[in-house]
Parts: sequence; C-alpha cells; structure tokens
Amino acid sequence: MTVSPVGRDIDRIDGRAKVTGAARYSADYPASNPAVQPAHAYLVTSTIARGSITAMDTVAAQNAPGVIQVYSPFNRLGLRAVPGAGENYAPLEDTQIRFRGQIIAMVVAERSEQARDAARLVRTSYDEQPPRLSLADEPRVPATGPPGVPAPSSTVLAPGVPSIEAALAASAVVVEASFHQPMQHPVAMEPHSVLAEWNSDQTQLTLHSGAQLPHTSAMVAAMRLGVAPAAVRLIAPYVGGGFGSRVFPWFDAALAAAAARQLNRPVMLVLAREQVFTVVGHRSAVDQRITLGASRDGVLNAVRHVSDAAVPFVGYRWMQPAVDTSAVLYKIPNVEFDQRHVMLDVPPTCAMRAPNEAPGAFALETAMDELAVATGLDPVALRLRNYATVAPGTDRGWSSKHLDDCYRIGARRFGWSARRATPRSRVDGQWLVGMGMASAIYPGGRRPEPIQARIQLRDDDTALVSSATADTGTGATTLLAITGAHGLGIPLRRVSSEAGDTALPQGAPSVGSTAAASTVPAVEAAVTAVVAALIQEAVTNPQSPWHGTDSGDLTYVNGQLRGAGRAMPFGRLLTTIGRRSVEATATAQPGPEVAGYHFHSFGAHFCEVRVNRHTGEPRVTRFTTVVDAGRIVNAQAARSQLVGGVIFGIGHALLEDNPLELDTGRLAAGNLADYMVPVNADIPDIDIHFLDRPDPVVNNLGARGLGELGTVGSAAAVGNAIYNATGKRIRDLPITLDKLL
Amino acid sequence: MNPSDDAGRSGVSRRSVLGGGAAVAVAVPLAAGGAQAAPAAEAASVEPVTVKVTVNGEPVTVRVDPRVTLLDTLREELALTGTKKGCDRGQCGACTVHVDGRRVLSCLTLAVTVDKREVTTIEGLARGDRLHPMQQAFIERDGLQCGFCTPGQVMSAVGMVQEGHARSDDEIRERMSGNICRCGCYPSIVAAISDAQKVMR
Repeated sequence: MTVSPVGRDIDRIDGRAKVTGAARYSADYPASNPAVQPAHAYLVTSTIARGSITAMDTVAAQNAPGVIQVYSPFNRLGLRAVPGAGENYAPLEDTQIRFRGQIIAMVVAERSEQARDAARLVRTSYDEQPPRLSLADEPRVPATGPPGVPAPSSTVLAPGVPSIEAALAASAVVVEASFHQPMQHPVAMEPHSVLAEWNSDQTQLTLHSGAQLPHTSAMVAAMRLGVAPAAVRLIAPYVGGGFGSRVFPWFDAALAAAAARQLNRPVMLVLAREQVFTVVGHRSAVDQRITLGASRDGVLNAVRHVSDAAVPFVGYRWMQPAVDTSAVLYKIPNVEFDQRHVMLDVPPTCAMRAPNEAPGAFALETAMDELAVATGLDPVALRLRNYATVAPGTDRGWSSKHLDDCYRIGARRFGWSARRATPRSRVDGQWLVGMGMASAIYPGGRRPEPIQARIQLRDDDTALVSSATADTGTGATTLLAITGAHGLGIPLRRVSSEAGDTALPQGAPSVGSTAAASTVPAVEAAVTAVVAALIQEAVTNPQSPWHGTDSGDLTYVNGQLRGAGRAMPFGRLLTTIGRRSVEATATAQPGPEVAGYHFHSFGAHFCEVRVNRHTGEPRVTRFTTVVDAGRIVNAQAARSQLVGGVIFGIGHALLEDNPLELDTGRLAAGNLADYMVPVNADIPDIDIHFLDRPDPVVNNLGARGLGELGTVGSAAAVGNAIYNATGKRIRDLPITLDKLL
Repeated sequence: MNPSDDAGRSGVSRRSVLGGGAAVAVAVPLAAGGAQAAPAAEAASVEPVTVKVTVNGEPVTVRVDPRVTLLDTLREELALTGTKKGCDRGQCGACTVHVDGRRVLSCLTLAVTVDKREVTTIEGLARGDRLHPMQQAFIERDGLQCGFCTPGQVMSAVGMVQEGHARSDDEIRERMSGNICRCGCYPSIVAAISDAQKVMR
C-alpha cells in the first residue's frame, strides 16, 4: 500500500536544482545556438514625470564601443498597446512622457556593460508639464469600476434603516479612523529579465521571461508584437518571485523580442534594480476611512469603508480595499462602500500580493482593535461576537469556514490570555511589550476557466505530470507531482513534473491564490484520463495479456492494472506491448456544485512586539498564525507560503515606503537599501498551524488556496500589538520609530 | 532612475572616469532649449586585462575589461549562472561567492582583483552528486521558495559557519542579514544553517 504524500512535509521537487545553481532563471539561458552570442539591451528611462520629448541625441551612444542599435521614439520598434492587459500605451512609439522612470530608449550592444555604458550617453530634452501627483489633492473619481459583488460603491441596509448615516447615528459606540499607506513594491529578487530568440525565418519566437501566467504572458507579448499567439512560446520553469509583479508582462519582453526580430539575433534584456521600481508595477498608495457603529457590548451595526486609491494614467490596476474585507469578514446588517480612485502621473500599478485585502484588512482590523478598546472587549471576543455565517446583505454562506477555531486555537498556542488590555502595562527592561491580533481572509476557490493537466505513464513505472502553471516559489511544480502520485497511487519518487512552459497544456495562473485549488482537479482529471487510455491499450493491443478483455473488467489500483485473474504494474504492461509510454490530457472546470457558496480561506494572527522605551524601535518578537485553508497538500511548502506572507505583512507594517516627490514625480527609493524590506534579523520564529480540515465543496481533495492569506491582517496584528505596548495608535504606515517617540 | 541622472549635467559619468582618463572632466554648456549636450568625450575602449584565477578548483584564464565585475565575468564569460544578479550594488547578497574561502559580493568585486586567487561559486559546492551539508539542509528545512536568492544564501551561510560565526540563532540572523529573501524564508534559513553547522563541524 502506497502512502499518499498529500498533507505531509514534502521537500521541493526542484530543491536540488535551486541549491546547486542548476535552476535556470530567464537571464541564465544561453542562446539555443551555442555559436551565437545574444546581444544585450539596456533601457533609458525618463527624468521628468509629465510632458513630451522634444529631442534626443543618441549619436554618442550609437558610436560607443560595441553598440549595435539605439531604439527610441525616433527609431521605433513598432510595438502595439494592448489596453486591458497591463499598461495602456506602448513605449518608444510616441514622445509623450507619462511618468518619471518611463522607458524612453533602449540601447543594444555586444556586451551588457557596453549597453549600460552607452545608455548613459543618450541625451534627452523635454517639454515639461506639471505632473499630477498628490493623492490628497487631485480629484476623486467616483467608483464605476468593473462589475463585482459587491459593486465598488454600494450600500446594503437592514429593513427600515434609511441610510448608513442613520445606522451609525443609532449605534451606541462609533469608531472612526483614517489610514494612509504609501506605495509598496513587490521587489521580486529576480529583476525582470528576458531572453528573446526568433527562429531563422522569424515565424516562431521563444521568450525566457518569468511569468505568473505563462500562456497569458505569451499572448500579450504576441499582441504587442503583432504576431499570432501561437507564434510565441514562453519557457520559464523557474521564476524568481512573483508577488503580482509578473501577472501581465511589462514591456521588457516585447522590446527585446522586437529588437531581436530587427537585428536577427537573440537579445537579452535585464532590468537594472532601480528600473524595476518604475518599469514594473507597484501597489498604489491608498487613503482609507472606516467608520464602525456597534452596541455597547460590541455587536456591529454598521460599517462605512471609504477608500481613495492612486491609479496611474498609464494603468493598470485600481485597488478596492473594501472588497473581501469589510464586505465579508463580519456579520454587519448595514454596510456602505465608497471605493474611489485618484488619477496620477505615476508608474503603473499591479496586483501586489493580497492586492485589495492587505490594505483593506490593515484598516478594518485596526479599526476593530479600536472598537475593542472603546467597548472594553477582548479583541478575540469582539470578533467571535460578530462572527459571520453568511456575507452581509446576502444569504450566501461559505463552502467551509472554521475561522472561530482559528481564533481559539491561535489564542491558546500564542498564550493570548497573558495579555493585559491596558497599554504600557508590560515592561521588560528598556522594552515595552505588547500583544495584538487580527483576522485574515482571502478568496481560496478555483479559477472559473478550464484548467488542463497532462499525465504520461512510462514503461519504467514512472509518471510525468505536466501543466503550464507557474512556480514562483509557491511549490506548484511539487504540488503537481504530489497530486499525481496521490491520484495514481504510486510513490512520489516515481513521479516527476514540469510547469512554466506554454508548450505544455494550459495550467492554472499563479494569481489570486487559486493555483493549487485549480490544479488539483485538473490533475485528478488527468489521472482518470490516463488510466482510461492505459486500459484501452491493455484491451486493444494484440501483445497485451488482456487483449480482447472487456475494458469494464479491468481496474487500476496503486500503479497496477488488475482483472481477469491477473495484475501487472503499468510499466510492465507498457514494456510487454512495446510502448514507451501512454499519456492523456484532461481539463477541469468548476461546475454547478460551486454555485451559491463563497470560497475563502481564513486565519487568525497573534503578534508580540517589543518597543524600545528610549529609541521607539519596534521589534516583532513572536508571531502565531492559525490557518483554515481546507486540506493542506504540502504542509512544508504551505508553511513557507504562510511564513512568507506574514513577513510581507511585517514589512508592510514596519518598513516599506517609497515617498513620491510631489513636484518631480521622483520616487525616493530606487534600490534595496532605500526601499527596505525585512531582512533576517527583523524576523523571529513564526508559528504556523493549519487546521487541515478538507473543504467539502471546492474540489475532491478539499484544498483551498493560501498563498496570499498570510499577508492579510498581519500588518494590523503588528500595529495592534504596538498599540498594546505603547498606547500609540499609528494609522499611517509604515510604523517607524519616529512615530513612536 | 535614468543613467544620465548619475552622469550629471557635466556629461561625465563615473564609468567614463573609471575608464582610464580618456574622459575629460569639463562642463559642457547646455544647448539651446535646455537640451543636454552630448558629452565631449565618448566612452573609450579599454585594453583588456588577463586574469588567471582558479574557479571551483579549475584554473581559468580570462581576458576582461578592467571595469567588469566578478559577477558579470562568472555569468557571461564562464557561463556560471548559478550566481545571481539581484541588485548589482551590494545590497541584496544574491551574488555572494567565496574568494580564498571568504564570502564576498561578486557584484562589488572587480574581476581583475581575483587574479591568482581561488573563487568558489554555488556550482562548486557539491562533491559530485553529494550535496554540501548546507545545500542538503536548505532543501530539508525548505529554506527556499522561488530560489533566486538561494545560491547567495547558501554561499553566505557556508562562509559564516566557516568563519565560526554561527554560535546562536540570533547571531545567524544578524550575520545573514546581508542576504535578502523576499519570499520570506528567514526562519527556515536559520533552521537550515543551525542543522548544517552541526554536520560541518
């Protein structure tokens, strides 16, 4: 009997490649013809935020050693804008400047240092216009965004309640608070890179370019280049981090590919780290205001959640922080959302990890902590008192929800009962010690569209599971193998897997914490299909001992075909009939069984901080997160995802900031010393516990998504702990020491 | 954001100054209309330098531009792409290698400075199929997710243990803080190093 690997601590299938340097990321590929050296490209970016280019002197760059070509609005590559898929313009196609740090030229040279050196020689003159940069001062645009549930601006009122104002006025306790968050950057460790190579007659393009959605990225690149989607193959099995920065491709891939087509030579383009801050999207700055109305004993009656999120004129993403936080987290009879946007001349935005939920939960879960103070309730008790079993204003419940146990188990593991409600009541030497908690909620269901997987059974009794999902560090490639081994009933060591290549069947996008829940059913379907194909071979192949047997008499169990009084491993059958392998591709898509449910994953965060009494320095010293994400497929990789998500939240709370210079549009930080992300010394041990209760609806295994969950609410848990330690409520992130003095 | 930011309005870049005196450090008057003029001196070709270095136990001779970093030389001349470029300015640690057994940031090390020295990269850590204990521990503790920072983390960790500086978890955290991991594997990295150093002793 083979033990299923599902739910165990499974080492990554690609771990060896990653620790030996053998794993190839996009900039690590050589040209397919070893005799051909790729040319190297380097970008030039704008030094004003709004206006137009009046002249560009590229002569010196063009004459610099090794330079092959300098592309600019005056020597165009002919790229097309694809509105709706990333930015709404194509670089180098006009002279307009839309933000500071926009691509305005690209130098291609024999060697990377020659391209970089020559890029410094490009001289640009501008007609400059005053940029629109102030989130606080520019006009608010009322919400009319894409349809959703709830609508970006909507009001749900209990019967007989005339308005949200009336509901708030009728509440005994009202808490109102305003929050500001600066822009944040995904900062994937692999700078965005591409190797673009055409075949000899320029009918087929191969892109090595990290992508969270391989097929979509290839298609968007094709549209920008004006070629058929089938003409582009994207190969990126290793992706050096996503976090929303590789959802749609930026223009690096199309620029390199267009240059490669013109020069008839492979072109490598690697963004310099400072360019990643403006060429690649960020999480927009956002202002939020939350008003909570409750009874004296903490029963919520009303919430109003207003947000003003910065939206770049170039696109592409508008944050809606009330969605999936205030709209679903608590039982509230009266709710109102007003999610507005503010158009600015800033670099593009993207769906950075927990794009709506991380900012939304920081605001809501901080406000809930304030309500706990105002009502004198314990923060855990307050949340349990307002526990939702259906979403506000609907009768729609969840496929599975055990958030209440997350609170209780988390409180016990963490030692929450030792918390003292009065701030500044625990002092340890020069440190003020505080505890805080917050909820986590994030959609955890499946993608609506069909997802494919392929399984190949081989004559050596091994199997290969293939699906063009992306492994950005999530463990998706390992999950393919685990799910395949589970379905086939064979040991994991006999299963290999592959992802991140558009030549494979189209897999689950690595976005929105949907990849695992969507991939599992596709692999299950492929197991069914390949077993059917194996049985078909067994009964139709003249060499087979089962030739002529009714296929209904054969069963597949744990790697063996059985029936008609005999049993045989699939490898032996294939050897016997002279086949190297048999394979099948299958598709899975959610059906009517998912109708009428919300699919969310849930969690409860508990955090201890120490704040230095003399310097104000905040340190996170303990963290416990208890997670309800259905059944866990790979406990080890899932834990790493949660730990990483919590660390994202700690960075969000304490470190990450990129101030925008309001008269120039210049971002203050363009490197990893000025834009601070957590380092090892900032992070304590983080205790993650999974309830591991299968979801009866989402898929047969019962596994929901969890990649973004840890990022939701963790910043609020830190801030709430800081309040408990110091008595200071900081609603303006990041919570730096100067704000605590 | 723009290379010309660093070049300044004089039209002289740090790079061309480093280029060996071919650049002329004179201010160039701004052209009419506020356009920045082309620099007086163009980037000059520089005579390559021969560097004899031992890389992962193998003697190697390369001819390099004296301005080129060890990182670019490893990746582009020697096809050792396991060493990663995360920031190219010494802030992320992804490019960490060993030079004469000590950990260095190869993006801040000029290739010419490793002449007659021994360089070890992530590709040179395992003995054939047998992984270094640190590599094995990173796999078993899941001290990696996307894996891009991992070569630098592993090389930094091996260097730190060899230097005798991994006596407590807090010391590991402190001395590994030059290696950024955005996926957030820090607790697993600490656990992996703690495991591996017991085997390395």
